[in-house]
Amino acid sequence: MSVLPPTALLAELTYRCPLRCGYCSNPTDWRRFAPELDPATWERVVTEAGAMGVHHLHLSGGEPLLRDDLEDIVAAGRDAGLFVNLITSAWGAPPERWQRLADAGCDHVQVSFQDVDAARADAIAGTTVHAQKLTAARLVRAAGMALSVNVVLHRANTGRVRDFIALAESLGAERIELATAQYHGSALTNRAELLPTQAMLDEALAAAREERERVKGRLDVIYVMPDWFTDVPKPCMDGWGRRFMTVIPDGTALPCPGAHGLPGMAFDNVREKGLRAIWEEGADFARFRGTEWMREPCRSCERREVDYGGCRCQAFALTGDPAATDPACVKSPDHGVIRSARAVVRGDPTIVYRADLTRRARG
Amino acid sequence: MTPRLARRTRLKWDEARRVTVLLYPEGLLVLTPEATEVIERIDGARTLDAIVDELAAAHVEVPRETIDRDVRDLVERLAARGFVATEPP
Repeated sequence: MSVLPPTALLAELTYRCPLRCGYCSNPTDWRRFAPELDPATWERVVTEAGAMGVHHLHLSGGEPLLRDDLEDIVAAGRDAGLFVNLITSAWGAPPERWQRLADAGCDHVQVSFQDVDAARADAIAGTTVHAQKLTAARLVRAAGMALSVNVVLHRANTGRVRDFIALAESLGAERIELATAQYHGSALTNRAELLPTQAMLDEALAAAREERERVKGRLDVIYVMPDWFTDVPKPCMDGWGRRFMTVIPDGTALPCPGAHGLPGMAFDNVREKGLRAIWEEGADFARFRGTEWMREPCRSCERREVDYGGCRCQAFALTGDPAATDPACVKSPDHGVIRSARAVVRGDPTIVYRADLTRRARG
Repeated sequence: MTPRLARRTRLKWDEARRVTVLLYPEGLLVLTPEATEVIERIDGARTLDAIVDELAAAHVEVPRETIDRDVRDLVERLAARGFVATEPP
């Protein structure tokens, strides 16, 4: 059977970022993924994406605003018929740049918020960002682009779901995404500090449900329950090599943004090969595609085409075997790892900043 | 009532899957041919009643009240997600 094209291309334009958030999912040794692709190659990649039937282009990083050619990549994506989403901290852009991005064809901007007030937000970001984000979010709306507020939830801010939704309303956002940190990259190191308690999550979920009804039709509230608490794994990327393709800053094409950390893989690079050929013929895109690769308990599980065995990166990080059942699943023989991690809640959280982890990774 | 598509959405044909999709920020809805016929007519000019009239004329085999109910139900569900606005801007 021929392979259907992905519906979305995540283009991680750079791993550089002025923020230092301790839950960043970028690899802590990100500096080894160099050099970054040049503008012409990115334009070719997004054009190829449109031609192969991709619908969504997600421009992310790191901080994509650090790329001077961002407007050109947006325009190329729009010319290729893609719906262009920019995923950004919104920090560091001169005010007029938002109109330039809109003029280039950017449909939607997702702005991250670390907390609802400057003191707490800036403490998480490790630098002064909050006030400028508020201004930038309003400029996004004024330029006519759709606005989403994105929040990474963790122990210190999970109690403020209602305040985050009020913030999104005040900014005129159409969408808010509240998602508990996934434990990759820096977040894996900081997980004992980031993990919320079950009681916090129950309260946050109840708040999100109530608020969703209140703002219905005006603001789309997306609340993502963390897989460490749901007893079933997340359908990571909606299945490996099924809907999502990621290209990281150095041009490596991946089934998910974290897959470069898996052992025994030799992913193709868009510098050497076309996007469609990589998707359809790449051995590592086929490796965990569908259900054939699965072992028990996934193989005979009635949810095998619902969650696709969960997250390969999490399976590897927690069991050492990328083909294992995701330990987030209650049926996994390794589920005890999740249970014991959940039990560890430190009294005095000290989150290690991403920049410090990067320094450690360099030795 | 004159529904219109939210500015943040876009209708698109998916050639590989042979379906029409409604794109919105970070996601998409895969539409049935019936839903596509409705959404194609949501243009901020046609009223809801006019849309029902057109579809009833195009599908004489389906009772008008069925079409009326299905169109209203679809528009309501799209409005709840903010994909369709039912009030003037």
